[in-house]
Amino acid sequence: MRVVIAEDLFLLREGIARLLQPHGCEVVAAVGDGPGLVRALINERPDVAIVDVRLPPTFTDEGLRAALDARRQVPGLPVLVLSQYVEQLYARELLADRAGGVGYLLKDRVFTDSQFVDVLHTVAGGGTVMDPEVITALLARRSSDAPLARLTQRERDVLALMAEGRSNNAIARRLFVSEKAVSKHCTSIFAKLDLPPSESDNRRVLAVLAYLNS
Amino acid sequence: MNRALTLLPLPRTLRDTGWAMLLIPVVLLVITIFGRAIPWGAAAAVAGASALLAPVVAADIAAAGVVCLGIYFTVLTGWIALAFYHQTGNPLIRGSGLVGMNPVSGVLVVGSGAGVVLDVMLSALVLGFGVWLVPRTIGVHAGLVQRNAALASRVARLAEARGAAVDGAAAELRRVERDLHDGAQARLIALGINLRAAEQLFTSNPDAALALVTESRENSALALAELRALVRGIHPPVLADRGLGDAVRALALGSPVPAEVEIRLPGRPPAPLESAGYFAVAEALTNAIKHAAASQVHILVEHRAGMLRIEVIDDGRGGADPAHGTGLAGVERRMRTFDGILAVSSPPGGPTIVAIEVPCALSSPKTCSS
Repeated sequence: MRVVIAEDLFLLREGIARLLQPHGCEVVAAVGDGPGLVRALINERPDVAIVDVRLPPTFTDEGLRAALDARRQVPGLPVLVLSQYVEQLYARELLADRAGGVGYLLKDRVFTDSQFVDVLHTVAGGGTVMDPEVITALLARRSSDAPLARLTQRERDVLALMAEGRSNNAIARRLFVSEKAVSKHCTSIFAKLDLPPSESDNRRVLAVLAYLNS
Repeated sequence: MNRALTLLPLPRTLRDTGWAMLLIPVVLLVITIFGRAIPWGAAAAVAGASALLAPVVAADIAAAGVVCLGIYFTVLTGWIALAFYHQTGNPLIRGSGLVGMNPVSGVLVVGSGAGVVLDVMLSALVLGFGVWLVPRTIGVHAGLVQRNAALASRVARLAEARGAAVDGAAAELRRVERDLHDGAQARLIALGINLRAAEQLFTSNPDAALALVTESRENSALALAELRALVRGIHPPVLADRGLGDAVRALALGSPVPAEVEIRLPGRPPAPLESAGYFAVAEALTNAIKHAAASQVHILVEHRAGMLRIEVIDDGRGGADPAHGTGLAGVERRMRTFDGILAVSSPPGGPTIVAIEVPCALSSPKTCSS
């Protein structure tokens, strides 16, 4: 897998590269600022980009803006955004183009490298991965408003795990049910959220988006 | 002016030039009645009045630069002496004009020796000038006194707000220090100890070493989570990244109660005010959820006519009082350091309206990617 890393702190940049190497990831470019990231994304067309939200020169949300900018030029370009903190506002902005291939994680999730590599593959494959913290914050909200109110508790659990980027198989193991039951729940979720049958990965993205917008 | 005046050992009533002016007709009256009968008394009255008035006039000139006020007194009192010299024929009165006055009236009085006609003409001229000047000088003086009182109360307010800001900042730093000390720092120490132990067990007991390393990794994640929470409490990253508007939107997104947000900010307020505004909204929102059991919140942030206006309205049970509890009182204290005000309307049964108004200028229009 060809990876571009955008991280201004040298130690973290090298650390992430070192974590990824044993997992068959080739770091084709490592950049330290927003403009450099856009250039690297457009020129290298990596399988996935790992982007720190906060980058020079502004040290605000430069990385996020650069990633969104690059995705406007190359729709669906897989981007995994890392940050010291997660904001639902940013999660929505990342998902807004509905193209999938988006991840948004806390930086410390990098520590568990095998899971992190799974996430990279999911994002590279067009999937959507949201940090459990985004999901937890969502669950804390009163979900009285439509259309999520139409979902059963179990369906909501499935959707939450879906938003974390888990496959049907992983969801089944997590909820101690069969994979077939999970796919039944998924079909029901898609129907209740008025998502017409299409390429299934895209429907998952849209379902997560509906979830985040609730 | 205040300071110059208080330095003078004057009777309290005389410190106000307006009162001093009232003294003149009184002296005038005294001299008119007793002038011929007791010329010495009249002379003393004029001299005394002059002596009392002179420092007041001097103070006004020195402190406020109201030159016309000084000229007025000089000329008017000189004229009093002159007029009553003619009435009483007592040279001492003429002299008293010189004693209490200054060179200008002195020249007037001495110069008037040339002839009675000239004296009368001068008198009439000066009287006319005096009549023209009195309402104006009183107006100027009244304005000064009023502005003075306003300035004094403003200084008192600012001193109080500054004190509160300094205290607040110090308390905040202590909290941060304590949180760091008990949280992240302690975890990092544990991390170091664990890793050292793992180092020693590396060859002899690899399984135990592995367990320690795993625990260390988990601890580092916990330390990070604590640091994150701490940073959010000091200066939320989204506020630094995007400014007040988006930070309030982010707050509303995280709110367990549906919160409608209306932002009308064509630019960004100064950073310290953004922070104060953000925490004010956060406080009001927390109150609405925790204490008022609201089911719907409306947040407005706008900039109009040089004022930043923040409004948080909830449909909860009301009864919020900034005088009780530290939350809103803290917000009010913080807003006062920006010359802002906090108003709370929260009748029992609701709704609660928390409104904040702060004078502020916005920086250049925001550039937003989305």
